[in-house]
Amino acid sequence: MLMAGLEQATTGSVHCLGADMTALDEDALARFRRDRMGVVFQSFHLIPTMTALENVAVPLELAGRDDAFERAAEELERVGLAARRDHYPAQLSGGEQQRVALARAAAPRPALFLADEPTGNLDGSTGAAIMDLLFSLRDAHGATLVLVTHAPELAARCDRTLSLTDGQLQRTAEAAE
Amino acid sequence: MRPGLAWRLARRDLRGAIGSFRVFLLCLTLGVAAIAAVGTVRTAISEGLSREASRILGGDAEIRFTYRFATDAERAFIEAQSVRLSEIVDFRSMIRRDDGTEGRSLVQVKGVDDAYPLVGAVTLDPPMPLADAFAGSDGLPGLLAAPELFDRLGVDVGAQVALGTQSFVLMARIAEEPDSMGGGFGFGPRVITTRANLADSGLLAPGTLFDSAYRMVLPPQTDLDALRDTAESRFPDTGLRWTDRRNGTPGLSRFVDRMGAFLVLVGLAGLAVGGIGVAAAVRTYLDTRIETIATLKTLGATGSMIFLIYGMQIGLLAVIGVGLGLILGYGLPALLAPFLADRLPVPALFGLYPVPLAEAALYGLLAAALFSVWPLARARDTRAAALFRDLVAPGRVWPRWPVLATVAALAVGFVAVAALLSGLPRLAFWTGLGIALVLLILLVAALGLRRLAARLARGRAARGAPLWRQGLAALGGAGSEAVPVILSLGLGLTVLSTIVQIDRNFRQIIDGQLPEIAPAFFFLDIQPDQMPEFLDRATALNGGDRIETAPMLRGVITRINDRPAAEVAGEHWVLRGDRGITYAATPPTGTEITAGAWWDADHDGPPQMSFAAEEAEELGLSLGDRITVNVLGRDLTAEVTSFRTVDFGDMGINFVMIVDPKALAGAPHTAIATVYADAEAEAPLLRDLTGRFPNVTGIGVRAAMDRVGDALAALAAGTSWGASVTLLTGFVVLIGAAAAGERRRTYEAAILKTLGAQRRQILAGLALRSALLGAAAGLVAVLAGSIAAWAVMTFVMDGDFVPALGPAGLVILGGALANLAAGLGFAWRPLSARPARILRARD
Repeated sequence: MLMAGLEQATTGSVHCLGADMTALDEDALARFRRDRMGVVFQSFHLIPTMTALENVAVPLELAGRDDAFERAAEELERVGLAARRDHYPAQLSGGEQQRVALARAAAPRPALFLADEPTGNLDGSTGAAIMDLLFSLRDAHGATLVLVTHAPELAARCDRTLSLTDGQLQRTAEAAE
Repeated sequence: MRPGLAWRLARRDLRGAIGSFRVFLLCLTLGVAAIAAVGTVRTAISEGLSREASRILGGDAEIRFTYRFATDAERAFIEAQSVRLSEIVDFRSMIRRDDGTEGRSLVQVKGVDDAYPLVGAVTLDPPMPLADAFAGSDGLPGLLAAPELFDRLGVDVGAQVALGTQSFVLMARIAEEPDSMGGGFGFGPRVITTRANLADSGLLAPGTLFDSAYRMVLPPQTDLDALRDTAESRFPDTGLRWTDRRNGTPGLSRFVDRMGAFLVLVGLAGLAVGGIGVAAAVRTYLDTRIETIATLKTLGATGSMIFLIYGMQIGLLAVIGVGLGLILGYGLPALLAPFLADRLPVPALFGLYPVPLAEAALYGLLAAALFSVWPLARARDTRAAALFRDLVAPGRVWPRWPVLATVAALAVGFVAVAALLSGLPRLAFWTGLGIALVLLILLVAALGLRRLAARLARGRAARGAPLWRQGLAALGGAGSEAVPVILSLGLGLTVLSTIVQIDRNFRQIIDGQLPEIAPAFFFLDIQPDQMPEFLDRATALNGGDRIETAPMLRGVITRINDRPAAEVAGEHWVLRGDRGITYAATPPTGTEITAGAWWDADHDGPPQMSFAAEEAEELGLSLGDRITVNVLGRDLTAEVTSFRTVDFGDMGINFVMIVDPKALAGAPHTAIATVYADAEAEAPLLRDLTGRFPNVTGIGVRAAMDRVGDALAALAAGTSWGASVTLLTGFVVLIGAAAAGERRRTYEAAILKTLGAQRRQILAGLALRSALLGAAAGLVAVLAGSIAAWAVMTFVMDGDFVPALGPAGLVILGGALANLAAGLGFAWRPLSARPARILRARD
């Protein structure tokens, strides 16, 4: 969460995508996320009063994009939810909600995807589908994915793994090319 | 900042959320509706008075003199201006049955000429031409009287009565008197006859207090201002008073305006309570939006964008609330118009008046802004990390300084607007300060109660009583309802408590203290040659009790140090109309000179004056100032050589101005007397003295005070209506607070049930908590109300204050019951919900 600028470090510094996150104030951090980062949460965190399409359009609108809704519609189609675009979060299954969240994170073409236990609230097969989608989005957009997970098999799909135990980084592993 | 985007996001986020704003909307709607309704009725009356102005005034314009008729020159001038002219004389007197039976009453006599009435018509019961009615029957002139007088004297049409030394026949009841409101505050029922019929009554002797009025119908397109200026410059310093149809009833208009403004100020207290509800509702709503706000921030929304989105939502709902309030505030008087028009003692022209509605809307929007900025600022500061914290993440306690400055500016603006629009800047300022002070006291009390409850919950006494402890802990812990409940309920109860305490204490003065210190009667218009016999008879009848007399004239202060008085001292009551003035060689008994010195008993120099010290200070007078008083059309200029204390509260003979005897030598005058007597001696005393001296008017102090008491009761009733809106709004806020706490109470109940508590135990705990909180609000209100009432009784009425315990107990009980009702209304869900479902949902 320090990396996403959702939390401020009390000591030391945090650098992300070349920016010193500790030097930015709350609003600057918000703009940084808007322009360069797509965040995916375990609990989806869709805005309940907005449709799937509107949820995906929000970061684009905040960035001032005129084609926010067209782009959002394309992004929903990419995650296979074109038919559900006018549904509210409460009318969607958990897997569908997470797919909307993925579309929302991907829509502004961020340099970095930050996913915090994205399958934690989903059953096994839905979770696997979501992970496939997440990795495919990363590849399609040429972005970096930082994945926080308790699942070793998911971690194993990443290029590099950092293990955090009791607040300490234990080891690093590079995936075989 | 992109308002377009903010508006789109605000609208989307508002979907399905309108229901969360029920309390918000109700609070604003009620507050605005009350103010709009008061303003609409006030304007309707003003418009009614203005439309009927000529009829009420009895002509296009009126020139009035006190104590005298117009001189030949004045009369010639008035005649030259008028198309038609009517001369009337107006005074109060005693009427009595003239058939050997007891029965007398104070009356307000109008002596008219043949031209009366110039505008409108007098309707009589039984119907008959006015001229026939005045002609009388059986050789006696005719008299018309208000129906009330027939009841008072116990007579019917055709009865014989006497005014002064003249007998009359009561020819008819006055069903409608077109100019009835122009005369102001009369002491008794109206009687009308002709001036000619009064010629032998002995009631218009020199020195008697009467008003003469010359009503004019003017040519169309007469420039009223120019004509007034001409009249005043042609006859300067003669005591001539001008009134025209543009403001035909200055006293009544002033009263309606002031009463309306006063009720608007009381309505503002309601809006302040509504504001507490608005703040609580906005805070509760924004709490439900924390996740959305944090999500938006995660997606890149800045703090300003969040403020704008939710500010727009609140603004939109404020406009809806204000709109509903305006519809209600206009609709209710419009709906009740036929009913109100019949019952109001003044003409009212109901309609759609934009000005009072705009005023109410402005108050509503200002209140919404004032009470929303703080919670909105809190939302602005919500951090994206809130997505990963429990909802009660403690943010900063105090907002940033620009927010505090905005809140302060809005509060000052609110009071400034009230001061400007009410026309009573001082009262508005003190009301604003009073509301702020009471809210502060209530806030401190609420925070104190929270700490006390938290301490008691942890104390030994609560051990073994888990429901007590739970209740106290809920009052003392985070999310406690103490602050909104005590603030909302407390302010309304404080207003009510203040009114009740003042009313009770004032009644105590009238019923208990006043009879001990006040005289039984004032006797007016005693001619100097009647005085020795008057004193002899009065002394014989009142058992040697106190009798005080003084010569009495009336005069208008026209100049201070040779400058127009109004220019020097503004609108002070001493300068408004004519005041009593007397002369004395030595200071009256008990006089305390506070500055300067009394004149020598045989003073023979230029006129000197002793002025009431308190009023002198208010007028900004100092020793050596020259006061010009117009008495009987002549100017008397005297130098102020002393100030003295005057206690108007003892109801004795008190004059603002006393001059040396030589100053008024030769001026025709009568005397005033106060006669003290036991209650049983009162009736024979009045009968004998007014029987022996028909020209003398006796005014019973008890009856006069009863009228003041009635006026106060009406004021208290009006204020109570205002306070009831405050209370109703407070109750809505209570319901809002209870609804907001429902989720928390349901969770607590689920845990207690899991631990083995039965439903009746949980219900008892909830009831106890609500009642305790409501009673605490009542207690604080009683204390604050008593302090306010004490201040009013001590500093305004110069009386003693004794707390009225009965009403105080009722206020506390009322507070407890109100909050109990609101609390129990939301007890169903905590009692009925199954614990497993609730606890699982929180996992």
